[in-house]
Amino acid sequence: MHVVKISLRQVSILTALYTIGSAILIVPSGMASIAKQDAWIACLAGSGLGFIILAVQLQLFRKHPEANLMQWTEKLFGKWIGKTVNLLLLLTLFLGGPATVLHEIGIFMTIQMLPETPIQAIIFLFGALAVLGVRLGLEVLARAAEMLFPWFLLLFLSMSILLLSEIHWEHATPILESGISPIFPAALSFVSIAFLPHIVLMVIFPGAVNRSAEAYKAVYIGSLVGAAALFLIIGLSILVLGPDITARNMYPSYMLAKKINIGNFLQRIEAVMAVMWFITLFFRISLYFYAIAIGISQVFHIKNYQPLVMPLGWILAAVSVFIYPNVPFKLQWDATIWVPYTITVGFLFPLVLLILHGLRKMLPKKSKKQSDSA
Amino acid sequence: MKRILALILLHIVVTLLLSGCWNRRELNELAIAVAAGVDWVDDRYRLTVQVAIPGQVTSKKSGGPQAPATLYTAEGDTIFEASRRMTQVSPRKIYFSHLRMFLMDEAMAREGIAKVLDLLSRDHEFRPDFYLVITRGATAEETLKIMTQMETIPANKLYESLQTSEKAWSASMTVTLDELINDLTSSGKHPVLTGLIITGDRDIGRTRKNVENIDTPGQLKYSGLAVFKLDKLIGWLNEKDSRNYRLISGDVKSSVSFIPCKNEGKIIIETLRTDSKLKGRIVESRPEMDIRINMEGNIGAVECSGLDLSEPATVRELEAEMEENLKRSLESVVDKVQSKFKVDIFGFGEAFRRSHPREWKEMEKTWNERYFPNLKTNIHVDYKIRRTGTTNDTFLNDIKE
Repeated sequence: MHVVKISLRQVSILTALYTIGSAILIVPSGMASIAKQDAWIACLAGSGLGFIILAVQLQLFRKHPEANLMQWTEKLFGKWIGKTVNLLLLLTLFLGGPATVLHEIGIFMTIQMLPETPIQAIIFLFGALAVLGVRLGLEVLARAAEMLFPWFLLLFLSMSILLLSEIHWEHATPILESGISPIFPAALSFVSIAFLPHIVLMVIFPGAVNRSAEAYKAVYIGSLVGAAALFLIIGLSILVLGPDITARNMYPSYMLAKKINIGNFLQRIEAVMAVMWFITLFFRISLYFYAIAIGISQVFHIKNYQPLVMPLGWILAAVSVFIYPNVPFKLQWDATIWVPYTITVGFLFPLVLLILHGLRKMLPKKSKKQSDSA
Repeated sequence: MKRILALILLHIVVTLLLSGCWNRRELNELAIAVAAGVDWVDDRYRLTVQVAIPGQVTSKKSGGPQAPATLYTAEGDTIFEASRRMTQVSPRKIYFSHLRMFLMDEAMAREGIAKVLDLLSRDHEFRPDFYLVITRGATAEETLKIMTQMETIPANKLYESLQTSEKAWSASMTVTLDELINDLTSSGKHPVLTGLIITGDRDIGRTRKNVENIDTPGQLKYSGLAVFKLDKLIGWLNEKDSRNYRLISGDVKSSVSFIPCKNEGKIIIETLRTDSKLKGRIVESRPEMDIRINMEGNIGAVECSGLDLSEPATVRELEAEMEENLKRSLESVVDKVQSKFKVDIFGFGEAFRRSHPREWKEMEKTWNERYFPNLKTNIHVDYKIRRTGTTNDTFLNDIKE
């Protein structure tokens, strides 16, 4: 396998697109249903929390940027336990990550645009695209991200600007109507979608960045851009639609795009705006998928991950068709199971690794001392 | 060789998959609904849909044999069912994305509109940009049959006319689906929708004869505002009250009003800008409402002599009189709603919720019964007359005997 190197700029852009990912579609509704008009405060609190989590995730790789998460686990847990943990992580991530996001794009399309189209058709087409991207490798994905990111920004900013005339500031008042208590669960749901899954990036980026010592900075910048975009979309949903309709809608951001109307002339452009979430969702799926593919190849010492992509892709497409039996199940899953799962994987797991690493560093000294005294 | 085979296979797969969506519906397979109406007839829904006929709208040559739109009606136990039953009459499936107007008749409104609205917010074809109105004295079906001038498609006439009258006269108002649902779900504001009536001769209104002469016998006209308690209609505001209601709710763009002269005649003032602020206060543990309205206007016409408009003092007098007049009529509409309807359509409760969230939690449950009917309101009107039009003193002053 040839050595993959991407630039810091590409790391930032990939991180930003990954952060925005499916969150741009589902986060406003989920947060508004918990925190009502204070969802934007929850988003700020969540971002703060998110950066703490990110710091924990990145801690190991700041000092040793050459080994990725898989290698660290094996190193710290020992070969067999490490491999078991890695496999478990990859399996659950596979089911919870790309499969659900792929399903998400499927239901989004079938709910909003093509209600009578079988979801399989959409999932297979989009899945094929992800397989293609992952097979071509990280460098290609990164360059594609560089090319598509300006388009995303253009659509996103034009949507925000076109909606300025629809803003009703009173939708955001009263601030903190039901106190501070709903902010934390809402922030948690934000973090669980936008920040905790960043653990996946720790499989991809270490060892794959040309200036690896500064890679962590690029991840921070990308996350900041992503969080800012999410903050904007949450704020706009609340201010334009009101907290109630935001919470009630499956996809408030799509509803926002429907609201655009400049002088009865520039209107009904939601289908164009939908391109925006195709871009972010594509990178979300591809990065998940890429991380899992290279993770498996590392666990089994397969030199080249590429032969794994096609079979994984087939499994992915098949699984994501029936991963959720219906929409209420998905909503409940996101609210009750996804949050604790991501906390375990995205926060506790790197924390345990950090602690083990700390102990390892201390132990040899102690044992040395002990042997000295003995 | 293998590579070429693989490429060919890929192309076949991609063309098969990308060739189109299952729901592909070309323009000539769509019946584009521009207006829809729901009537409540014998405990069943009657759905009426006005569909634009594309050929008749674009062609410049007028007086073709066909009407610019056609009407389909179907009854059903649910609206969705009725809309699908419509395909028995309509050659094409009705496409709702370009809907401009949604009408409900009074019987439907008295029965409750919430159950109608859920379909509109759930179905993916509806955009949230059409206006909802209540037909008065006629069913939605009858209303949608009237032919119109200028805008040949009646739905467009209704849409434009509602927008224009909201801006220039202020007795009617546009309400979109999301605004209506926001009002319904908020505990501190009850919804209000504009009423729509047919004036003149209904029977001629239905025929082409209606648009053949300069004088149109049957017309569609907006009239009054329907007052809702939750989702049920309980009464109507007349034109004057409607205008005052809209002043308080604070989105009037422009309007016209007058004050009487000292001798005979009137001074007409054109309002150009208004801005109203509702602010809740708690005085001795009882809620009070401050309504502060800032308005700006010009002198539109003067009907009496003896008015010295070069004098700033005159303008100040006029302003004071205007403020006094407005204050009285605003108080009367608040009084009327408080005593007659006993529902908070002004959004006073909503204003309380925003300014006093904690106290509102206690008042919320009994707001309409206990607090709103006796709510003390302090109305302050600040009227500024800026310009006097293209002339200053009226020539009426110099008419010689």
